Formats: sequence, C-alpha cells, structure tokens
Amino acid sequence: MIEDSRSVDRTANVILGLGMLFVLFPLTIALITASQSYDDFVRNGFSFVPDRYLLENLREVIENTRLPRQILNSIIVATLTATVKCVIAFLTAFAIVYFRIRYGGAIFAAVLVTNLMPVDLRFITTYQIASNVMMPFNTILEVTGIAYLINVLTGFNAQFQVSVLNTYFGMAAPLLANGTGTFLFRQFFKTLPKDLSKAARMDGAGPLRFMWDILLPLSRSNFAALFALMFLGGWTQYLWPLVAASTPDMQTAVVGLARLSPGQPDEVPHYPAIMAGALMVAIIPLTMIALLQRHIVRGLTLAEK
Amino acid sequence: MNSPATAAEIRLEGISKSFGEVEVISPLDAILEAAEFTVVLGPSGCGKSTLLNMIAGLEAVDRGRIWIGGREVQNLEPKDRNCAMVFQNYALYPHMTVADNIGYALKIARVPKTERLRRIAGAAQFVSLEGLLDRRPGQLSGGQRQRVAIARAIIREPKVMLFDEPLSNLDAKLRQDMRMELADLHRRIGATTIFVTHDQVEAMTLANRIMVLNEGRIEQFDTPSVIYRHPATTFVAGFIGAPPMNLIKVTGSGGNLQISNGDKFAEGPVEGPVLAGIRPEQVVLDAGGMPVRALFHEDLGSHRVILAKLPDSQRIHIATTIGNPETFNGEMRVRFPFDRLQFFEPDTGKALGTSRASA
Repeated sequence: MIEDSRSVDRTANVILGLGMLFVLFPLTIALITASQSYDDFVRNGFSFVPDRYLLENLREVIENTRLPRQILNSIIVATLTATVKCVIAFLTAFAIVYFRIRYGGAIFAAVLVTNLMPVDLRFITTYQIASNVMMPFNTILEVTGIAYLINVLTGFNAQFQVSVLNTYFGMAAPLLANGTGTFLFRQFFKTLPKDLSKAARMDGAGPLRFMWDILLPLSRSNFAALFALMFLGGWTQYLWPLVAASTPDMQTAVVGLARLSPGQPDEVPHYPAIMAGALMVAIIPLTMIALLQRHIVRGLTLAEK
Repeated sequence: MNSPATAAEIRLEGISKSFGEVEVISPLDAILEAAEFTVVLGPSGCGKSTLLNMIAGLEAVDRGRIWIGGREVQNLEPKDRNCAMVFQNYALYPHMTVADNIGYALKIARVPKTERLRRIAGAAQFVSLEGLLDRRPGQLSGGQRQRVAIARAIIREPKVMLFDEPLSNLDAKLRQDMRMELADLHRRIGATTIFVTHDQVEAMTLANRIMVLNEGRIEQFDTPSVIYRHPATTFVAGFIGAPPMNLIKVTGSGGNLQISNGDKFAEGPVEGPVLAGIRPEQVVLDAGGMPVRALFHEDLGSHRVILAKLPDSQRIHIATTIGNPETFNGEMRVRFPFDRLQFFEPDTGKALGTSRASA
C-alpha cells in the first residue's frame, strides 16, 4: 500500500482539531459565562461574548459559599486516595512479580476483578460498613456465640460501634482497593530485565532493599502517572462522597459544586457564579496534569528510556 | 588494585533440580579445579543456566551438595558464597551511575565511603573504565556496559566468577574482542570461572575444560582438544565444530566397512552396524575413492565447505582448501581414512573403542 503521508497528516489534524473543539467548547462556555454579571445573565441568558465580571464572580463564590473549604476537602481526600492506592498497587505488583506465590495468578485475577466492582455498585453495603466498621466483628461475635458468653459472664453487651462517616478516612477508604494500579505496575515490572533482581541478590540486597534501591527509583514515572489518574478519580468521585459526608464542611468540591446556588431558592440560579466555581474546581487537576504531563505519558507507555 | 583473589575449587555432588514434573538437572557430579576456566556448553534448555544459578545461590538445589573452597554452600545466600556473576543483558541498574553500579555491593555491605570510592576506582581501572564513572548505563556502548558488569563482579574480590552468556548480545567484532579481554581478565584475577554459553567458538577458545550439557546431563567434561577430537557421544560430535562431525551409518564385517548400498566405505576391524564419525576436514579427496555428488558449496575464505551425497544418499560435509581445482565439479571422489574415524554405538550414541587417531 502506498501511504500518502501528507494526507494522513491532514486527516490526523482534522480529527485532533475536532477533538479539541469538543473538549474546549464547554470550557469556553463556562469561562464566558463566569465572566458575566448576574444581572446581565438574568436579562439576556447565555452569551458568547466575554464580559469583565470574572473576578467578582470568583469573589462571590469564595466569600459566600463553602466551596473553598470543600476544595480543600477534595484535595485531602484525593491526595489520600491517590497516595495510598499507589503504595498498595506498588506493593501488590512487587509481590506478584518478584515472588513465587502459590496461586499468584489467581490472586492477581482477584485483584483485577475489583475493577468490576466500583464503589458506585456497592455503595449501600459500603455505607453500612462505614457507618459501623465494627459490624463484621460484631457479626462474628454473635454467630460464634462469644457475644452471648460475654454477656452472661460479665453482663457487658458486646456490641461495638465505630462510625467513619463524615471523616476523611471514611471518604477515602472505600476507594482504595482498585486493581488498575496493580496492573500498571505489574506490566511495568515485567518489562524490566529479569536479571536485575538476580544482580541485586548477588550484590547482597534482600527483597526490601531491592524494592527500595532499584525498583522504586525506576518506577518514578509510573508513580506519577498512576498518582495523576487516581487523583483525578478521587477528585471526580460524586456518589460516595455525597453519602459519606453529611455536613457541608466535610463535603467535597464536586458535591459542593452541584449544590452551589448562592442567593434565594426561587431565583434564577446564579450561573455566572456557578461557572466561576466550576472553574475553581477544575483548575487544580488541570494544573497537576500540566505539571506531571511528561511523566504521565512515559509512565503509561511503559517505556523507560 | 584488587590483589588477585585466591581461587577456590568447586565440587558438585549429585545436585539435581526439577521444575514441577520436568527434571532440569539430573543428579550431577563434577569437580571444577581452583582457578580453572570451565565453559558449560549446551543447547538452549539443556539446564546450563539453571546449573549456574544453583552454584550462585539464585536457585535452590533439590538434592545434592555444592562445595566452594571446602565450604558447603548449597544452603547459603548468594552473597555469602563468595561468587560474583555477570549477566547476559548486563543487568546494570539503569538509574545509577557507573560508580554506584560498581559499588552497590560494597554499599550494602556497609563498607566506609572512602574505602568504597578507592575500590570502585581500582575496579574501574582494572577494566579500563576510568573517566566514565559519572555516566549512566544508558550512555554507554555495549562493550562498556559489559565492562561495568565485570567491574561490579570483581569488586568484591570473589573466589568464583560466573558468566551467564555474557557475550551473546554483542556484535561479532566486539564479541571477539571481549573474548580476548575475558581470557586476559581470567589470567589476571585468577578466580575459578564458570562460563555458560551455547556458542562453541567461545567454548573452544576460552575454556580450560568444557562441560557439554544435554537435557540436564553431562555428555562430556574434558579439554577442548579432547572434546573436539574424541567426542564421547554423538551429541557432542554433532554439537562441536562448524560444520559438525559427519556421522555415517556403516556396517562392518570381515575387515570391511560398507554403506547401505554395499559400497566400500573403509577398511578396518569393526564388526556390525555402527555410526562412523569423521570431521569434514579429515575427509580426503582421492581419485581412487568413493564417488560422491556435491550438492552445495560455501566458500569461507580460508577453506571451502561442500555438502555432498554418498551413493546411498547419506549427506556429508567436506572441508577442502580453496583453489584446489578438483574441489567442486559436481562429481568427486573421496576417501575416509580409517585412522581418522570415530565409532559410535547407533542406539545409545556412545563412543565405541575408537581407532585413536594419532594426535
């Protein structure tokens, strides 16, 4: 087949251009709307002409809503989720790739299957547990009759109650188990020369030393890529933070944004302010991706230079 | 620089290894003398790398014992066996500088920094790597990486050096240079060396003794010249030499050897069906010999290799000097001198009492 590279280039450019339009259009609308005044918006509706009220709208959101606090919540929860996920994924993949484990394949499959069980699917049971993390323990005590025994012997009612609802831990924990990261690290480890671990053993490095001195520095790009992905995932979570956090001060930015309507309930929503809020919520992951871009590409293509 | 480490004898006593159902190493005994350069040669999957890993301690032995320098080591960690290893793909740590790569073992052993730096410099000088200590492996050529791997191995002054096909990733020219460097290195360090390869040229040129391994068993363990001239089995005969030894089915009776169509092959006191082995270069062109038909020929500069068909359709290789006008004209006549023949039992492939060719 004769390939006309110029026409291929042109087609690629058109497709890219369309994709860019598709992505940028809503963003532009948000930006333009955020720059309009409320009065103007009530009178004329959406417009395509930018105005000069962006800062005012931002101030409106910062001063009159809980969004700044909620953005902080989001940062905490997303960072917590992403960090712990990365660490767990790294350790799991390390165990699966570098140790001869009985049923290692089955364990890896089980880890991957967690991808089929997102928190949105299991959030009722997750909620039950989060509202009392001792529930499984209580059940064990009851089923085995130990609770009854304790009650008879000491008169103490062995029922424990610990709720993690409305805490950062409670909001992050159910999101932590996820096979994607394990998969990513596993694939990366498989691309490393097999003799690397042998060489380290000959040099006298134990498994932990090998992990710390060799594997960890080599995985920097993968960590960056996975962290960015998982941070985004945590940032855009809606359903679980919605049910897990009951007070506005604990809610995340995305949840807060959905409820953002300064002013009276029966008024026309303050869309310019809402869009200003949306921009504030979007700017953080955008900045992070911009900073980590180089690592993300390298980490996801699994290629160490 | 490192004082030449005293070498250690390696003794293998009935060591064996299975992966699941598959027996990779059948119970195997051998003694590798101190300071000896042993090449373990065999086709891929013959267990040679497993054998090396077992000696290094990277792979546990199922049964049997390994002695290094009079010390029983099969239950020791690799770092406690006084062995160092050079790997096929160098296995350098890509994120560390050359100096850190070479000195990593010392760092783990908590050798003080000043002494570490001194020994790194010494090892680097030993393999001519001065001036490259701050580079990363990615910035080095194949040969330089190989030298880093060697420096990393010798820095701990090991009594045993293990090489796992270290030259197979280099191009032909570099491979030849590195071969000589390795021979020189062995002379200077004096450590007992085991070198695993599937390349018979490396084996022939480097080894004091070659251990030919096939399906986890030792086929022959002897000096290169004995292995070349008196292969113990048809496997060795067919594995060593390029092209390998010809193995021709013949039958002997009453002082005559015949091929299957009844033509006379040679004269000699051999009875019954045997495999007659003869090196391609020992086949003699002789106007009074057996007629053969040449099928292909390859000119290799120093000599010419001809693939020919015997009257009973068995194929043989013949090596002749170039420029001989008789060497390739389709039809030729050859003689198989009896004193050059090696005989093998057709069923087991074991060498029979041969008419030992004069050396």
